[in-house]
Amino acid sequence: MPPEGFSCYNSAMTKREQVSLGEILRTFFFIGATGFGGGMAIVSLTERVCVHEKRWLGLDEFMHGLAFGQILGPFSLNTSVFIGYYLRGVVGGVAAGVGFIAPSFCLISLLSWLYFKFHEVPQLQSALKGANPVVIALILVAAIGMARKKVKGINDWLLALLSFAAAAFFNISALTILVLGVVWALGRGYYRREHQ
Amino acid sequence: MAATLKLAWVFFKIGLIFFGGGYVLIPLLHRIMVDQLHWLTLKEFLDGLALSQLTPGPLAMLATFTGFRAGGFLGGLIATIFIFLPGTALMLFLASRYEKLRNIELIKAVLDGIIPAVVGLVASAAYTLGKTSLLSPRDFLLLAAGFLILQFTRLSPMLVILGAGTIGFCFRFS
Repeated sequence: MPPEGFSCYNSAMTKREQVSLGEILRTFFFIGATGFGGGMAIVSLTERVCVHEKRWLGLDEFMHGLAFGQILGPFSLNTSVFIGYYLRGVVGGVAAGVGFIAPSFCLISLLSWLYFKFHEVPQLQSALKGANPVVIALILVAAIGMARKKVKGINDWLLALLSFAAAAFFNISALTILVLGVVWALGRGYYRREHQ
Repeated sequence: MAATLKLAWVFFKIGLIFFGGGYVLIPLLHRIMVDQLHWLTLKEFLDGLALSQLTPGPLAMLATFTGFRAGGFLGGLIATIFIFLPGTALMLFLASRYEKLRNIELIKAVLDGIIPAVVGLVASAAYTLGKTSLLSPRDFLLLAAGFLILQFTRLSPMLVILGAGTIGFCFRFS
């Protein structure tokens, strides 16, 4: 079933080979199972796997999906759903979401059961302490790759640095930053049109 | 049955109102689960939070833990489905309009215009996470090794993450 809205609007789409639902499910299952560190760490992992390794979608599309995802809550899940939809429509989106959530769901159910039985959090802290620096490295690699390809010229850099500072130093929420970014982008587009 | 429905409804509502990423969820769930409904004690809530941070997957999996407490395995399943349902439905809707919207000049300009902001957000996550978890030379060594491997080899990032987790586990990092 070709997803409505994709096949007829973009000629590049027709060249893309059909990705099987099983493949989508499997891929997102592994992403869900290794996505330590929450949100952005998982998204960096998703970018690496879906954009660079499997070449399922371009960096542009991925980042649009990420921007949408941040507006709507749990963005690591949302980005997965977006990619799944992009590949195979609604069924693909649901497959990606279910595959992504399944490993953490099973693990958390098991651990919750143990917790409410024995009232102790298992000793996973050391594993997380080992994984964390590497997760940060993964996010850094993703950010550097995105900046190299997508941040061009002084205006882009200014916006990137401003959003970095706003989020890192001033604790401003991603949603606020993106809304301000939209205003900025609209303003720039308007300014350009007026001065051409 | 009534209890299950209530569970579904509570988590559906939470799924509807939490915009802007996982960390908004912590104060929200705390207020609803601990203060209003008394489904969890404060200690259980904090332990559940630790659990969902220790395991892979989004932080919102805290809902699974809370649901499990309220109604066992089925409760966990229902809480998980319903907290993610509103966002996923909205996302599917947005994705279905994406290709059409993208061909409108103004929207395309906005979509491409905010990409640098997204890059800044990604970088800030590395900073925020680094500030709290890069504490010793050992951590920086792992960071450097991970960076080199991920930047210059094609080794699957999942293997790299699991490998680092195993190192931490075996050497009992504290």
